[in-house]
Amino acid sequence: MAFTLYSLLQAALLCVNAIAVLHEERFLKNIGWGTDQGIGGFGEEPGIKSQLTNLIRSVRTVMRGKKKNEWNTLKF
Amino acid sequence: MLSIPVTYSDTYKPTGSKHRARTAPDPPPLFDDTSGGYSSQPGGYPAPGADVAFNVNHLLGDPMANVAMAYGSSIASHGKDMVHKELHRFVSVNKLKYFFAVDTAYVAKKLGLLVFPYTHQNWEVQYSRDAPLPPRRDLNAPDLYIPTMAFITYVLLAGIALGIQKRFSPEVLGLCASTALVWVVMEVLALLLGIYLATVRSDLSTFHLLAYSGYKYVGMILSVLTGLLFGSDGYYVALAWTSSALMYFLVRSLRTAALGPDSMGGSAPRQRLQLYLTLGAAAFQPLIIYWLTFHLVR
Repeated sequence: MAFTLYSLLQAALLCVNAIAVLHEERFLKNIGWGTDQGIGGFGEEPGIKSQLTNLIRSVRTVMRGKKKNEWNTLKF
Repeated sequence: MLSIPVTYSDTYKPTGSKHRARTAPDPPPLFDDTSGGYSSQPGGYPAPGADVAFNVNHLLGDPMANVAMAYGSSIASHGKDMVHKELHRFVSVNKLKYFFAVDTAYVAKKLGLLVFPYTHQNWEVQYSRDAPLPPRRDLNAPDLYIPTMAFITYVLLAGIALGIQKRFSPEVLGLCASTALVWVVMEVLALLLGIYLATVRSDLSTFHLLAYSGYKYVGMILSVLTGLLFGSDGYYVALAWTSSALMYFLVRSLRTAALGPDSMGGSAPRQRLQLYLTLGAAAFQPLIIYWLTFHLVR
């Protein structure tokens, strides 16, 4: 398997895109990975599942960027 | 930048036309200056020499050229400052300097440790006033000098091995280098993800992981070298030896580094996760060593 740096960039972009398109209501809630389920306490043990949900939520928030306000003001 | 005087002359309407009239038979004087001033053609020298003298005076006395030079130098220094600032934002240069503070004795002992780690007793990284000691004074400290040099040596050795088998071409060299680099980057990213998911509290930064991942290049070099000297059997023997030595080295180093000062504070599942992470990282090494070197030794 011969990799180039460009293929690494492609793979990273596709992975981030895959995380960004996971739909909150239709998909993640059904498998129990929604952001308002199982936040957990402030105890010692975050656990792998809550770490994963936090990671997915953070990636989606970062990917939303600053343009969300502009989308709300577009009126056609 | 060479077009700036032209645009300035556009705004200077009274003198612009004079410039145009003076330089009408030639291309703009800046081009002629830099090429004609240093030419050493004996035949055509007197004629361009007169033009050069005229144009050089024209250049140095021209306030627009002075403005252009000052503008250009300020842009250059501004660009340099911007590059420094962006670089400092991504890479902390002081922390990087820690990993390259090595000397010859350390490198020799560390290479010996990578090949034969079984008799080493004390694997803890020593601290002095909360800061880890640099590699010069502590054998157990990770460094980035050996991985970098080993990576470059591996790429050169791959070129030699392919050349011996008459399969060499310059593109293959670049492909080999980028493949090895991509595998290391993927391994570091996987380790970072594993550390984040298992919430391992340790002082293993990205550079530490890069250093520990880069030590496998030494094993790769030794395997390829033995394979070239002693044939396929020598390659497999060296592969087995360096893999087991590297696995032992990694497990001992990461167990003391990953547990860190909180070793008694973690609960049982978390310690089990840390152990799995360390064992997984160690078990991955022989696979990647084999994958990256077997096509060089046939």
